[in-house]
Amino acid sequence: MRLLTKTTLYFLSAMTMLLLLAGFYLFNQFSKELSNKSDKELLQEEAAWIQYLQTEVAAGVTFILRTPDISIYPVDTPPNNYAAITDVKSNLAAVPYRQLSQVVSIYGISYQVIIKKSQEQKAALIANTTKIILLVFAGLFIATIFFNWIISKKLWKPFYRSLHTIRRTDLQRIQETHFEKTYTKEFNELNAALNAMTEKIYNDFINMKEFTENAAHEMQTPLSVAQSKLELLLQNENLSQEDIRLILEATTSLTRLSKLNQGLLLLARIENYQYKTTAALSLNEVTKKYLGLLAELINDKQLTVTTNFEGEFVMQLHPLLADSLVSNLLGNAVKYNYTGGRIEIAITANSYCISNTSLHEAIPQEKLFRRFMTQDKTDANSNGLGLAIVKKIADTHSLLINYRAANGFVYFDIKRKPVSS
Amino acid sequence: MKILIIEDEKALQQSIQQYLEYQGYICETADNFLNAKEKIQQFNYDCIVVDIGLPYGSGLDIIKELKHMESKAGIIIISAKNSLEDKLTGLESGSDDYITKPFHLSELNARINAVLRRRSFDGNKTIVFNEIKLDPDAQRITVNDKTVELTEKEYHLLEYFIVNQRRVLTKHAIASHVWGDEYEYLNNYDFIYTHIKNLRKKLVDAGSGDYIKTVYGSGYRFTDN
Repeated sequence: MRLLTKTTLYFLSAMTMLLLLAGFYLFNQFSKELSNKSDKELLQEEAAWIQYLQTEVAAGVTFILRTPDISIYPVDTPPNNYAAITDVKSNLAAVPYRQLSQVVSIYGISYQVIIKKSQEQKAALIANTTKIILLVFAGLFIATIFFNWIISKKLWKPFYRSLHTIRRTDLQRIQETHFEKTYTKEFNELNAALNAMTEKIYNDFINMKEFTENAAHEMQTPLSVAQSKLELLLQNENLSQEDIRLILEATTSLTRLSKLNQGLLLLARIENYQYKTTAALSLNEVTKKYLGLLAELINDKQLTVTTNFEGEFVMQLHPLLADSLVSNLLGNAVKYNYTGGRIEIAITANSYCISNTSLHEAIPQEKLFRRFMTQDKTDANSNGLGLAIVKKIADTHSLLINYRAANGFVYFDIKRKPVSS
Repeated sequence: MKILIIEDEKALQQSIQQYLEYQGYICETADNFLNAKEKIQQFNYDCIVVDIGLPYGSGLDIIKELKHMESKAGIIIISAKNSLEDKLTGLESGSDDYITKPFHLSELNARINAVLRRRSFDGNKTIVFNEIKLDPDAQRITVNDKTVELTEKEYHLLEYFIVNQRRVLTKHAIASHVWGDEYEYLNNYDFIYTHIKNLRKKLVDAGSGDYIKTVYGSGYRFTDN
């Protein structure tokens, strides 16, 4: 729910309560006033009737009057000192009557005087108050919505501008990102914080970039030294078989370490978006290239490769990453296959699928793409980074990659991410 | 054949020098930009191995200087950066080859050999080892002047062996030379073993000596004694 909708709702519910209270109070006040007024009228009317009654009774007439509004007739009950004024319900009208009732003594004879007065006015009052309250509420509602709309247009504008800037920003161009000064204190604080944050992110990014570059250089050089020394040592004529075995094992480990280093650097560079390109390339072509390069390994394992190039999968991808993506997927399809197995490659304009027969059990997808998740820990040629690299390339290039295993096949599906607005 | 090694990492420089001298090259070294510039101006080299990151300057500027001098030396860049951009800039600047750290000395030697062969003007580009003769341009080999049919991979294997003759070569070095990065998708090295076995059989069948010796573990040596 939008902040504005929320505040509007709160405001309106508070208003409703207040208006109800105000309406109730108003009604009560008016109603009291009206009752007072009609009570006075009733008493005046009674007084007039009593006067009239006195002249009539003095003339020796036994007075009886029965109309819907006024009843005067003699009774046997003793007189009351005060007139009782009550509301009396009637079947005919929705509004109760105000009724005065008193037994008065006129020259020794008790007379019951009952005067009723319609309270039509009061009914009108309720209707009017409700009407006014509703009108005020409707006016308020429309005004609130209208003002909120204006406020959201004007007052929140800097906020939405900042939001838009944040959304648009990517790590490569974060340096250019700047949040401008506004006329609102809160937004200025927000923008200042955002500016500080982007600057920090940019600095970290630069440091990270430099670190990866340096790490490459600083680690590869000692590795080269160690490897070259071992290679020289291996040339020594006086080495025993055991010595040679030890040197070869050390060499293998060094090679692994070096590959690991290169893999991690590649991952870091992809993460840092250091492979930018504007040129589009076709994954079909890259796949064909690698099918050629791996042809010998494929033949050696007697694998049957079926290709179904229905369309051309064209995308913006750095050639090095395209190579990495395809070689890792295709390489794994060869490597984790069994002799006489199958590889199927299906490409359309929007999807890229490699599947292969595999002896390995299915791996949970969330585990599969993690770093150092290798199928075989003893495999010197696997550093467990291949699929992590594939995933990272997919993530940074709006691709979705899916893995599943079924019927003795494992499938890797790559699709374009639907464009989200 | 005279080679200049421009590398600031002393230990690596010495390894390269030692290996290349084993193979019969005369080597000189420089460990910074100024030193290297001085050497290329004073002496003629057949091949120059240059690291890009140097104290006081870039290896790329050394290459520019060489091109400016119209030097005929072959140039091989060694770099710690395995990036396509660097490779392209390196090759565009006029170097003949580009090799990424860490590398096998046997691989560097093979690259130097190839560069020198491409640049030799006396037309003698054949590689000879006793009765075996290789013609790199045609990728043809003869044993006692009789042609032996080899597959492309077998040819590359043999060339690598002869260029690095008498040296112990690891399976890994052989695999990465002949199969490039794709060897990483091998489950094991049996594949290489098969190729070497076939090559060995073809050579022996053609009447050559059995020069390919296995070294305990995972190494090979091409030698006639």
